[in-house]
Amino acid sequence: MDAFILLGSFAFLIVIGVPVAYSLGISAIVGALWMDIPIDAIMIQIAAGVNKFSLLAIPFFVLAGAIMAEGGMSRRLVAFASVLVGFIRGGLSLVNILASTFFGAISGSSVADTASIGSVLIPEMEKKGYPREFATAVTVSGSVQAILIPPSHNAVLYSLATGGSVSISALFIAGVLPGLLLGFTLILLCLYIAKKRNFPKGDPIPMKEALRLSAEALWGLMTMVIILGGILSGIFTATESAAIAVVWAFFVTMFIYRDYKWSDLPKLVHRVVKTVSIVMILIGFAAAFGYILTLMQVPQQITEGLAALSDNKYVILFAINILLLALGTLMDMAPLILILTPMLMPIVKTMGIDPVHFGMIMMVNLSIGLLTPPVGALLFVGSAVGKVSIEKLVRALFPFFGVLLFVLTMVTYVPALSLWLPGVMLGK
Amino acid sequence: MIHSLLDRAYLACVWIAGLSIFCMSIIIPWGIFSRYVLGTGSQWPEPVSILFMVMFTFFGAAAGVRASTHISVEMITDRVSPALKKIAGHLVNLFMIVLSLFMVIWGAKLCLGTMQQTVPDLPWMPVGITYLPVPLGGLMTLLFVLERTFFGAQTHRKVINIDPEIKEDAN
Repeated sequence: MDAFILLGSFAFLIVIGVPVAYSLGISAIVGALWMDIPIDAIMIQIAAGVNKFSLLAIPFFVLAGAIMAEGGMSRRLVAFASVLVGFIRGGLSLVNILASTFFGAISGSSVADTASIGSVLIPEMEKKGYPREFATAVTVSGSVQAILIPPSHNAVLYSLATGGSVSISALFIAGVLPGLLLGFTLILLCLYIAKKRNFPKGDPIPMKEALRLSAEALWGLMTMVIILGGILSGIFTATESAAIAVVWAFFVTMFIYRDYKWSDLPKLVHRVVKTVSIVMILIGFAAAFGYILTLMQVPQQITEGLAALSDNKYVILFAINILLLALGTLMDMAPLILILTPMLMPIVKTMGIDPVHFGMIMMVNLSIGLLTPPVGALLFVGSAVGKVSIEKLVRALFPFFGVLLFVLTMVTYVPALSLWLPGVMLGK
Repeated sequence: MIHSLLDRAYLACVWIAGLSIFCMSIIIPWGIFSRYVLGTGSQWPEPVSILFMVMFTFFGAAAGVRASTHISVEMITDRVSPALKKIAGHLVNLFMIVLSLFMVIWGAKLCLGTMQQTVPDLPWMPVGITYLPVPLGGLMTLLFVLERTFFGAQTHRKVINIDPEIKEDAN
């Protein structure tokens, strides 16, 4: 009954259209009233929920991503990728994916990725004879790499949702191989499609020009070296590395590239404020919701329910994957990470699944949700940037869903894909 | 008249949040700089930047309410009859008013209750002050929701709609 009051009121609020963050807050209050817990406790949880140093990493990484996307860094990554793979058949589709790999390595914003790389490459691909919806499908599915390849603010959210029991650096390192596997498989798919539909090759870029483009892109790619090098060597924490990424992105954009107008900066900050603060307040209200959830022993009930289903962890993981995929089609990534992680963590631990591994499963799984109707952030941005209808885009995405489900299966059933690299690099 | 005043309130929220993130991006690197270069690892950058982050969160989220950027599920309300959709809209406003009142009243209670304690690394800073953005952001949210209740959504206004073509998201 307890759980019904809490989850029922939450579901009701969501359905009538109350924003997810505020729905969490209101249903936490309802739950507290139902259980006779003073509402002051809810306020304390909200305040404590946003009062964490590690949280700072989220606005920093998004701000850095926005500066890189709008300030011309992503355009240079595209140019660098064309130097490397542009001359192959289907070159521009490969360039698109590789540019997202690079962008993912300096930012975790898949939406910024789609918006910036898509606005450069989709028109160009169309000019060279690629169908618009195919170009858009390549862009949005390539953008998923940004979520997996470090840095990733969604990994920060997950670390937070586990109560800090999983380190941000372990999650960052764990994302490298799944991210590269996704990029690699997408490239294979594009090579196959390019051959079948006879997409054009790009012109090889002359050596001198290639060197210049590579040098320009290196400034941007240094971000990755700074972030990962800093964290791995222990010079600074993940949060501090995010702040350094902002300073570096700003420095390179304003003083090296120098093609971004100072007068456009307030607009950029305005956009970042509008998009990030809503995730931050979600974290606060999710903390209160999670607190009531725990008092009602909902996670234990879920654990018992799922454990009754099977004692084989692969069967459980399969069931959880189906659940996540279903919820992912309806809701955005950030709220799902914050709501579901505390609910599922007990069963994950009971089954002997490493929380870092589970984090990767969640990242891949929920990223698929960003591409699926009816609600998918990347789908919406992709359709706006590529000027294609959602229906056409979804149809073009079908082969790409195949790749994503393949990667999800690999990440789920081959734990080493997520755990080997952190083991080697962080020694655990 | 009301709308232009609230336009200013909206811009104030965005400016407070924007300057907060600006200050955070300077303070943290300064902390690293002082630790390695000056050799004087100071304690204040961490709590001070958390303070700015709390300001960023609650004022920014209030602005997000007026700009309708908060993540919400619209696929069900988009598919029902206009009459039902209108009722749902009123209910949403009602619940938002309740929650913003909660933020104002219980947030203020929290501030008053913690005025006597000080932040561990900042002896001059009462904990109550650091929580002030909660009731203040709640108050801003309340104003914006009341505006929406009586005059409808304001997302078309020039101060909000800075780039009309793309609806954004934080993922």
